[in-house]
Amino acid sequence: MILLDRVTKSYGKDLSPAVDRVSLFIEPREFVILVGTSGAGKSTLLKLLTREEKPTSGKIVVGGIDYDTLKDSHIPMLRRKIGVVFQDFKLLPQRTVFENIAFALEIAGMTRHEIKNTVPKVIELVGLTGKEKQFPHQLAGGERQRVAIARAVVRQPKILIADEPTGNLDPKHSWDIIRLLEKINKYGTTVLLTTHNADIVNKLKRRVITLEHGKITGDQAEGSYRQ
Amino acid sequence: MAKKKLDSKAFAAQKRGRRRLLTFFRIIKYGVDNFVRNSWLSVAATAVMTITLLIILVVVATRVVLTDTVSDLSNKIDMSIYLKTDTTDEAGAELKAKVGELSSVRTVTYVSAEEARAKIAEANSDDPAVLAAINEATNRNPATLRVVVKDINDTTQLEKFVATDTLIKEHLSADYKPSFAGERREVIKSIGRAVNFIQQIGVVVGAIFVVISSLIIFNTISMAIFNRKEEIQMMKLIGADKSFIRGPFLIEAIIYGVIAALIATGLGVWGLFSVADTLASYQIAIQPALDLVKNFALIGLLGMIVIGSTIGIISSLFATRRYLKI
Repeated sequence: MILLDRVTKSYGKDLSPAVDRVSLFIEPREFVILVGTSGAGKSTLLKLLTREEKPTSGKIVVGGIDYDTLKDSHIPMLRRKIGVVFQDFKLLPQRTVFENIAFALEIAGMTRHEIKNTVPKVIELVGLTGKEKQFPHQLAGGERQRVAIARAVVRQPKILIADEPTGNLDPKHSWDIIRLLEKINKYGTTVLLTTHNADIVNKLKRRVITLEHGKITGDQAEGSYRQ
Repeated sequence: MAKKKLDSKAFAAQKRGRRRLLTFFRIIKYGVDNFVRNSWLSVAATAVMTITLLIILVVVATRVVLTDTVSDLSNKIDMSIYLKTDTTDEAGAELKAKVGELSSVRTVTYVSAEEARAKIAEANSDDPAVLAAINEATNRNPATLRVVVKDINDTTQLEKFVATDTLIKEHLSADYKPSFAGERREVIKSIGRAVNFIQQIGVVVGAIFVVISSLIIFNTISMAIFNRKEEIQMMKLIGADKSFIRGPFLIEAIIYGVIAALIATGLGVWGLFSVADTLASYQIAIQPALDLVKNFALIGLLGMIVIGSTIGIISSLFATRRYLKI
């Protein structure tokens, strides 16, 4: 599903590379946790996957799409196949819950009929039924992240990238979000999660990839958080 | 089989077309929604746009009024070619026709000796002494050709004609030189130069104003877009096409343009009509401008909408460009 072959990204000749010859293979339907201190290269790695950054060298293939041959004009199409969730939610502040989720379908040119059918199901999946007409600022942090997840999965992407989705949440809501990600993974979506939360990493017992100084220093099938 | 393939192709094309139309309507809807929901920014941007359009309107109106006033003035400045007192009306008519044929001449009128005398009498009708003098006098007034040229700075053709044409030389008054020569001509020329200068200044000042206010609009729209750069970033990341991200901003800019054009045109027309009487009392030719407004108000409004929207669209294009790279 995700293949990285000796991928390097450096931002300047004199700086040490942010991602240094990383090779990685993630199977379809896998649930992978990416851990590492700030500056270890997690964010850069995710940006390479969403094509916000181009690698200095190396090969990236996601969902059968080879990034070397991907035209700039096809990047939006690629991004529609990858769902992304951020620590700071990145919702449209002026739009309601329903509109925020529908937006992901509108940009793909879906009809109103399709949108009216699909969005309520996703809202139910993330447990926000009854809050469709509320605006982001009227919601609690955990609820906002649910909206963001709903927006990311409404197009049924093959891959969901969640970059520190629990970073701004208290433990209880963090676990709600993690359970939701597990549910989405169970339905068949590959999930790539980054987190600093040792408790989550240790209890989930999933594959854990550790990044340090841009290099992979650990890859365990049922990993735990190493300090 | 071949037919079936064609059908499915046509169906796909039809579906694509429908989606494109749907996307187009969504872009408009998002633009309108953004305008309404970001009301504070909308008001600010529309206000700046209104001021810009008002400045453009004032500059254009001033130019029109100035040009009209000047041409009014230069129509009043006529040059006199004095003829001999014994010039017959027939000869006068012939000379009038010849001068009228010159390309630099706008109008020419022939005033015979009797008419000249009558005019003096009329002008001095409340001065018995002058009237008595006219009646007593035995000498006759010279007949005159009153010439209004198209450009008061350019009298060379007329001068050359007077100097070379045999018929006019024959009838030219010996006592009075034509008024385009000498002192009076210098006065006329300096008025002409002042007019040109004022018009040029008007164009330059107007252009500077338009450039400055376009920059202000660009800044306002840039700030509005800067405030929403995270939103743009997010749209990109969930796979929105560039046109889908940029489109609503352009629609917003067009809305600013339309509303600003309506307000500015309304204010401008109201302003012009309310100062019309005052200006007219200062001998300023305001009437042609008023007629222009009455006859071409709709075209003017459309022009303002086009100018406002264009400035807005260009500003938006520049301001969004930097956030739309991959």
